[in-house]
Amino acid sequence: METIISVLVDATLITLVLALAAFGLAIIYGLIGVINMGHGAMLTLGAYFTWATTTAGVPFILAVILAALGVAIVGLLLEHIIIRHFYDKPFDTLLLTWAFFLIMTEVIKIVFGTDFRNVANPLPGAIDFGTIKIPAYRGAIALFSLLLIGATAFVFYRTNLGIKIRALIQNREVASLLGLNVSRTYKFVFGIGSGIAGLAGGLISPMLSVDPYIGNVYLVRSFFVVIVGGVGQLLGGTLIGSFFIGGAETIFALFSKQVFAQSIVFLLAIVILRYRPAGILKQS
Amino acid sequence: MTQRSEKQGIESAAIRSRNRFSEEKVAVIVFIIFALLPIFITGYPIYILPQYMLFGVLAMSLALLWGFVGILSFGQAAFFALGAYTMGLAMQTNFGVNSGYIGILISPLVGGVLAAITGYFLFNAGVKATYFVLVTLALSIMIEQIAVSQSDITGGWNGMYIDRMPLTFGTFGEISLFNDIPAYYAIFPVVIAIYVFVRWLATGRFGKILIGIRENEDRMTALGFNISAYKTGAFALSGAIACLAGALYGAHANFVAPSLGGVLFSTEVVVWVAIAGRASLLAALLGGILVASLSNYLSTITPDYWQLVLGIIFILVIVFLKGGVAGAISDLSKHLQSKVKR
Repeated sequence: METIISVLVDATLITLVLALAAFGLAIIYGLIGVINMGHGAMLTLGAYFTWATTTAGVPFILAVILAALGVAIVGLLLEHIIIRHFYDKPFDTLLLTWAFFLIMTEVIKIVFGTDFRNVANPLPGAIDFGTIKIPAYRGAIALFSLLLIGATAFVFYRTNLGIKIRALIQNREVASLLGLNVSRTYKFVFGIGSGIAGLAGGLISPMLSVDPYIGNVYLVRSFFVVIVGGVGQLLGGTLIGSFFIGGAETIFALFSKQVFAQSIVFLLAIVILRYRPAGILKQS
Repeated sequence: MTQRSEKQGIESAAIRSRNRFSEEKVAVIVFIIFALLPIFITGYPIYILPQYMLFGVLAMSLALLWGFVGILSFGQAAFFALGAYTMGLAMQTNFGVNSGYIGILISPLVGGVLAAITGYFLFNAGVKATYFVLVTLALSIMIEQIAVSQSDITGGWNGMYIDRMPLTFGTFGEISLFNDIPAYYAIFPVVIAIYVFVRWLATGRFGKILIGIRENEDRMTALGFNISAYKTGAFALSGAIACLAGALYGAHANFVAPSLGGVLFSTEVVVWVAIAGRASLLAALLGGILVASLSNYLSTITPDYWQLVLGIIFILVIVFLKGGVAGAISDLSKHLQSKVKR
């Protein structure tokens, strides 16, 4: 019984952290159709910004906010200089954001070096629930992830801005004819998506050793989260996709090595992508 | 939308083959230069060049897929590494005959079958080109992770040592390939043979159908072609070639590590092919050789900045020069020819 509960709790925590990591990608891909291959680099950059500012003495929460802003600015620059000219060519944006990933990774290596960096855990210790203990920081991040996704869903379905964005997804031409500033909305979405990626990178940084490649694996996992959950399904899709990818990984990791478990999950995700290209819940 | 944008950038290979500066002529000149090279140069360049040629073959395997069918794979290095591991395992086994030959025979089968299964599974369902990129990217990560985690077989992080095979001729004796020059002349003809074979396929009926699929998939379907079968075939062929190149690479380098199949190397191949020109097999081959040697040379001097420069060139090529260097040269020569005629 105890192991079952601890596996369930573990799976929930992993699901929510993964949802946080994938959310920026889900926003950019789901809303404006850009497959942001630079997502991994944005996570990494957020982690490094957080490392740099906390090392300089900035309090953790402020550091994470600064990281999110910093990555949002980088994302906006990328959008403004290159991506906005290629919105009607999804394959080109894929290649261009990949080039951004390559360049960003090198810039990170040049600026921050390739050594492992550690961000001090702002909430050490664990919360004791009797039968199980939850690491305090992981718990807080999981909670935050839920809040963030909930808040975004609120913006998306309950505000004027949300209506504009949904109008844009449904029919770009008509939305623009009705006076919606398409290019500004796209820019806004890209900036928000980048910022959330940076935020996620900053928040994840205390849980692992930061190196220039931490975003790599998260990139592919995030994509599978988005595809398995269903593109454009910001709220439910991200959570279901994360639950599937994260949960399956937790379960397989019980029987085999962690890295091998991940390979099995990728394989499963590919099978799902084949039979349910619109997401695990939707018949295509 | 994707298909059309691809079309704008790339000159049809069929048109290019009618050019006066035909690819065959350039290929013959290039191969003669490579054949004579060991007479003028000795030492390290001759040792390392066969490995770069195999990188070139790897690039060519991608060009066949990307340039002709319009499908991009971010997992070519996975097949390359798979080939090297296959070779390593074959060399550790006693088959009663030259284990190297067995490795060379098995590796394209392994790569071809893996690619065929993946390709059939995905293309048959009409999976989007962008999703195919993600799947091949995952394939690359999976191969790297399996190589790391199954350390009993693969040596894990430490990698695997691979004996260099000798060339045996049954009762007629054998040639050791431990010296640079015999190794060079053992691998070089294989590289030529692969190029000639792929070029023959690509300029023939098979290649024309692939280009047709790239240009207009719906029309090819209407004409009665089985699109997914051709795509699967092209991917299987590409995987088999990449795997064979990897096997030879492993045998020559005597070593394979998980990173050879990783994401970074996989995408480096994409960058080579994009810069060299994805619609030309020779350009991809030479691009692989040149960029790999430049990478090796420059990364000892300025490792980080070189990757940075490569990334920036990659962006510039995608934005301004869809056909890569080969496309630009072909456009230029056509431009000059039309001026001469006037």
